[in-house]
Amino acid sequence: MTLGEFRGEVLRGTEWFGHDFAGQRVAVVAPGREAAQIVPEVAATALSVKVFQEEPDWVVPMPVPGPSVVGVAVARVFLRWQVKDPWIRRLLTPDRRFGSRKTALGLGYYGALKRPGCKLITWPVYAFAPNGIRTAEGIEHRADVVVLGASSHFAPEGRTG
Amino acid sequence: MAYDFAAMLQTIKDKQWSLADIDWDAPGAETMTNELRAKMRPFMADLVWIEHVGARGFASLAKKAPTPEIQEIYRYFHAEEQKHANAELALMKRWGMLDEDGSMPEPNINVKLAIKVLDDFGDTLPLTALATLIPLLECALDGALVKFLLEEVSDPVCHQVFRHINSDEARHITADFEVLELIGAGPTHKLLTESIGSLKPQIVLGLIVVFVPLINKMRDNIVAMGLPEKKLYNAVKRFSTIGGRGEFTKRIPAYHVLKAQAAMIVDRSHVYHRFLADPMVKATRLIPAKLLGKPQSWTEEITHEPVAS
Repeated sequence: MTLGEFRGEVLRGTEWFGHDFAGQRVAVVAPGREAAQIVPEVAATALSVKVFQEEPDWVVPMPVPGPSVVGVAVARVFLRWQVKDPWIRRLLTPDRRFGSRKTALGLGYYGALKRPGCKLITWPVYAFAPNGIRTAEGIEHRADVVVLGASSHFAPEGRTG
Repeated sequence: MAYDFAAMLQTIKDKQWSLADIDWDAPGAETMTNELRAKMRPFMADLVWIEHVGARGFASLAKKAPTPEIQEIYRYFHAEEQKHANAELALMKRWGMLDEDGSMPEPNINVKLAIKVLDDFGDTLPLTALATLIPLLECALDGALVKFLLEEVSDPVCHQVFRHINSDEARHITADFEVLELIGAGPTHKLLTESIGSLKPQIVLGLIVVFVPLINKMRDNIVAMGLPEKKLYNAVKRFSTIGGRGEFTKRIPAYHVLKAQAAMIVDRSHVYHRFLADPMVKATRLIPAKLLGKPQSWTEEITHEPVAS
């Protein structure tokens, strides 16, 4: 998978941290564990943010000591408390069998997703077009900047277009 | 030899297409006459909603998939059904079938019931039941309806869109039945326990109340358009034809139940129509939509815009 012909700016690693996104439409392409850290920071300055969540992860508001089952229980309560829409909650819930059992820190993640300019997208990303991202539900999502999570499917690839 | 689901997943990824690939303003929209427009509008609205509900069905299947690869295939199928609904809505817009604000047409009561059942029970249905039901609906509704549309409409953009959709649907049917083969090859005790698990009264009743009238309602719409219902029946027959080719599918009890239902659907003189399906179409018409409550927010995800800013 490559970034193809995308003509906008691409931020990798921690380049998004402290970056000013004023007036920009930002696409965050990352698994939930990384989106939980990236999105609150990006949403603070961006014009709009689309979160292309590659897979959901359990998100906790603070470090939870003990076995992972405790962390997952805390994450479930946090999700239920923060996200009232049952469909969005379903999209944010890891798969019971093949999904992650680890938890990621993200106190402001769900709050950021509720901001008016922020949208969660879980459709598979299949291509980068010159002006945006194409997902398998047939829509091209325009973006000025793409923030790639370190473990995104697209992260290992360089710009080829 | 075991089916190569990894190769199928790669093909699915390679064959992706976008609404943005299609020139929605290309000539041909004028072939839609006022008479045809009036006749096709309710049909198209039903088609869009059936694709949209089919998408939700795949979302539930993804939760039950037996392997991560099949889960990923279902994830793509979920998105592709949504893409079909989006593309068909874009065709409706091209043909002037939408209101000025471009809003989605209201689903009929049978579609609303299907949405309600999928929201309430979709994710709790056992894999065998859901994986058998989805191909029947795909054969019966998707396959048949798309063929009708292509016979009625000469707009080249419509034919371009449906070349993509038919190609996607062929892969859906192939993968659906290969998954049935995989499930059917599993241990007998698992097939039996899952089948018994499907027999909860609320699930059985929900499925009868929803899917029995849904197919007959669609038949009524097709007949109202002056088209032969025989074609719908031929499409339903594909379910048992393709299923019958498999070595292990016949070990799945749910397959036999739905095959028997398919046989009743295609036999117009069967008491199934007179005493169950047709009366249920009439009875469901009387259900006040308010009783069903607000559907989940996935029903608002549909769009005719190829590009989102």
